[in-house]
Amino acid sequence: MLYYLIICRSLTYAQRTARILERAGISGHIMRAPRLVAKEGCGYCVKIAERRLSDALQALQREGMAPKQVFLQNADGAYREVQP
Amino acid sequence: MIYLDSAATTLEKPAGVAAATAWAMGHLASPGRGGHQASMRAAEVIYRCRETAAQLFHLSQPDQVVLTSNATHALNLAIRSLVRPGGVVLISGYEHNAVTRPLCAGLDARVKVAAGRLFDPDGVYEAFERGMTGEVEAVICNHVSNVFGFIQPVERIAALCRRRGKALIVDASQSAGMLPVDLEGWGAAFVAMPGHKGLYGPQGTGLLLCNAQTTPLLYGGTGSLSASQQMPDFLPDRLEAGTQNVCGAAGLLAGMRFVRARGVEQIGRHERSLCRRMMDALAGIPRVRVYRGGESQSGLFAFTVDGMDCEAVAEGMGRRGVAVRAGLHCAPLAHRTAGTLDSGAVRMSFSAFNQPWQVDRAAAALRGVIREGRR
Repeated sequence: MLYYLIICRSLTYAQRTARILERAGISGHIMRAPRLVAKEGCGYCVKIAERRLSDALQALQREGMAPKQVFLQNADGAYREVQP
Repeated sequence: MIYLDSAATTLEKPAGVAAATAWAMGHLASPGRGGHQASMRAAEVIYRCRETAAQLFHLSQPDQVVLTSNATHALNLAIRSLVRPGGVVLISGYEHNAVTRPLCAGLDARVKVAAGRLFDPDGVYEAFERGMTGEVEAVICNHVSNVFGFIQPVERIAALCRRRGKALIVDASQSAGMLPVDLEGWGAAFVAMPGHKGLYGPQGTGLLLCNAQTTPLLYGGTGSLSASQQMPDFLPDRLEAGTQNVCGAAGLLAGMRFVRARGVEQIGRHERSLCRRMMDALAGIPRVRVYRGGESQSGLFAFTVDGMDCEAVAEGMGRRGVAVRAGLHCAPLAHRTAGTLDSGAVRMSFSAFNQPWQVDRAAAALRGVIREGRR
């Protein structure tokens, strides 16, 4: 299964993101951002199912929350940045 | 013991506060420092604490809520963020040392005092109107005097600040949990408050509500942007270096939930009612002078006894099982403004858990102290 990782600048920001997604009926899991994608050091991200990205981005946009970066996690575990 | 010193710390807490604090001790690790369950659980508690504070005090985003170790810490952050060394600051005549010391000793600021008479909201407002000149960089006002319970006209002062483009810091140490506190409605830059008074959290907790650019007091790890040697430029991380008081935050969350459930208005009404009952009882005792303010008085008040040192009165009441606070209450400016700097005063303050019978017994204790003092 493929996942998107919405990279957040802080844990609090990730929590806000997850709350917004929850209100929109989208399940999001807060986790540490993988070191390979967290270029500025420790960080957190929200992991969502691949099919919910579009809904998630719309929900975040409605709340004025622009994701810092979004990565696709492939089945082999590799990460690829996508332009939302 | 009859505890009438809630303006310092509420001693009796809602049952959930101790339970939440103890649970946190055994189950919650460092938020923002890991991805494991104990860390993420701690992060959830901290976030709920921010969310609940945002709901109570009308903030649009939880990340505007910074967790501090007390109101003094919060006020130092706010002052450091707004006031330049040597800058001009306008403060009320009822400020605590938590405001005046950071300004004087910390920043060598030029402090102007808008000193209105005690329990004269119009006079206080006019003093602010006169003092708010172009050179003033920031305005600081407590919502309620910690000595006299004087409710200052913060809404009107906030409106004046908005009209004149001045940044406002409100010290809500004696009003949070008892009176409506509205950061965004006031348009204040910062509101500071303790967690251990009217919010019924443990000591070592406080909140700074932020609506302006901030400057850190502490520098260190935040669990974010770790590769950079600069503090993050976003809240709350910018002002929260180091491991947080998670156990305290868990207790504070339980305390704020109690306040929300019971209602700020109801708690305030209860405390004011007890305060009036006590002032009525004391008014009939010879030699006792009560500083009473009608509608502009919150749930605490001060009094003096002619011919008796205020500390002797408090000590005598303590021996009779009634806890009150005497002296200058870390607010010499307030005493100077009210004319009680030389004598000091005795303060009685109430919480949601005090009962009318305690008021009656405390009044009887004071009569005993005065009788004893005559011998």
